Amino acid sequence: MSKQERIEQALDRLRQNMPDIRAAIVASPDGLLIAERGAGNAATRLAAMAATALGLGRRIAQTAQAGEFNELVVRGKDGYLAVFAIEGKAVLALTLPEGGNLGLLRIEAENAVKDVLEEL
Amino acid sequence: MKPHTLKIGVLGPYGAGKTTLVRTLSTIPAVSTEAPSSEGGKATTTVALDYGYLDFGSVGVHLFGTPGQARFHDVLDVVLQGALGALILVRADRPSDLPRVRELRDYVASVLEVPYLLGATHLDKERRWETAEIALFLKEREDRVLRLDPRDSGQARRALARLVELVCEEGGVRCR
Repeated sequence: MSKQERIEQALDRLRQNMPDIRAAIVASPDGLLIAERGAGNAATRLAAMAATALGLGRRIAQTAQAGEFNELVVRGKDGYLAVFAIEGKAVLALTLPEGGNLGLLRIEAENAVKDVLEEL
Repeated sequence: MKPHTLKIGVLGPYGAGKTTLVRTLSTIPAVSTEAPSSEGGKATTTVALDYGYLDFGSVGVHLFGTPGQARFHDVLDVVLQGALGALILVRADRPSDLPRVRELRDYVASVLEVPYLLGATHLDKERRWETAEIALFLKEREDRVLRLDPRDSGQARRALARLVELVCEEGGVRCR
């Protein structure tokens, strides 16, 4: 099985554990799509946005003396986009509808970050 | 802070020298958001924005650099909101970038609707287009394409001075 397939499997597990998750993508820190599930046409733009959020989030965390960047959550009227650093190697972005369980999302994301990290 | 401030956008394709230009011009430590580049030619690439500031005559200039790759286009709208002028960098040794430069120029002209100048970088390379050839390709006035080595603070400041002049005259912005 290829590396991409193994990363896609990690995203599949994530979505099985938490079917609320609409889109799950993994991108390089400079915004190139590595793997996605459920993102459809938006995948490449989401990848670029995730990298932007990671880059800006890192800078903000540094300026605010909040230490190393961990996550960034954007909440809109209809849902969330959460962005998680996969060390310095990649970024995980997940979308969740309004009313979704953010606590569970964090736990699942943490597991997925570990899984993906093993592949990178 | 000066009484009059201008927000200037810095655009251009991947590797044109946008981050370098912001760093050269800024008199405060410039803010950069870089990530390791997977596309080669350089070690890092801007993913969100570059920011720098300088006092420039009677105005304070805020410089906002943008990511170069087309996939970051959404970021441009955000970073360039409220910009009153734009510097568009173009690599003279990479004519294959010119269609992308034209897109960026059209974006500045028709979406932002602000005065702009084009800066030709990498003019020290042996195989290169001259500024007049770049102007011809883009159907621009020749005096709107300048030689601009982003590492050279003299050239960078001269280009900025020309742009600030344009913004103050054509852009209808009060500068003094």
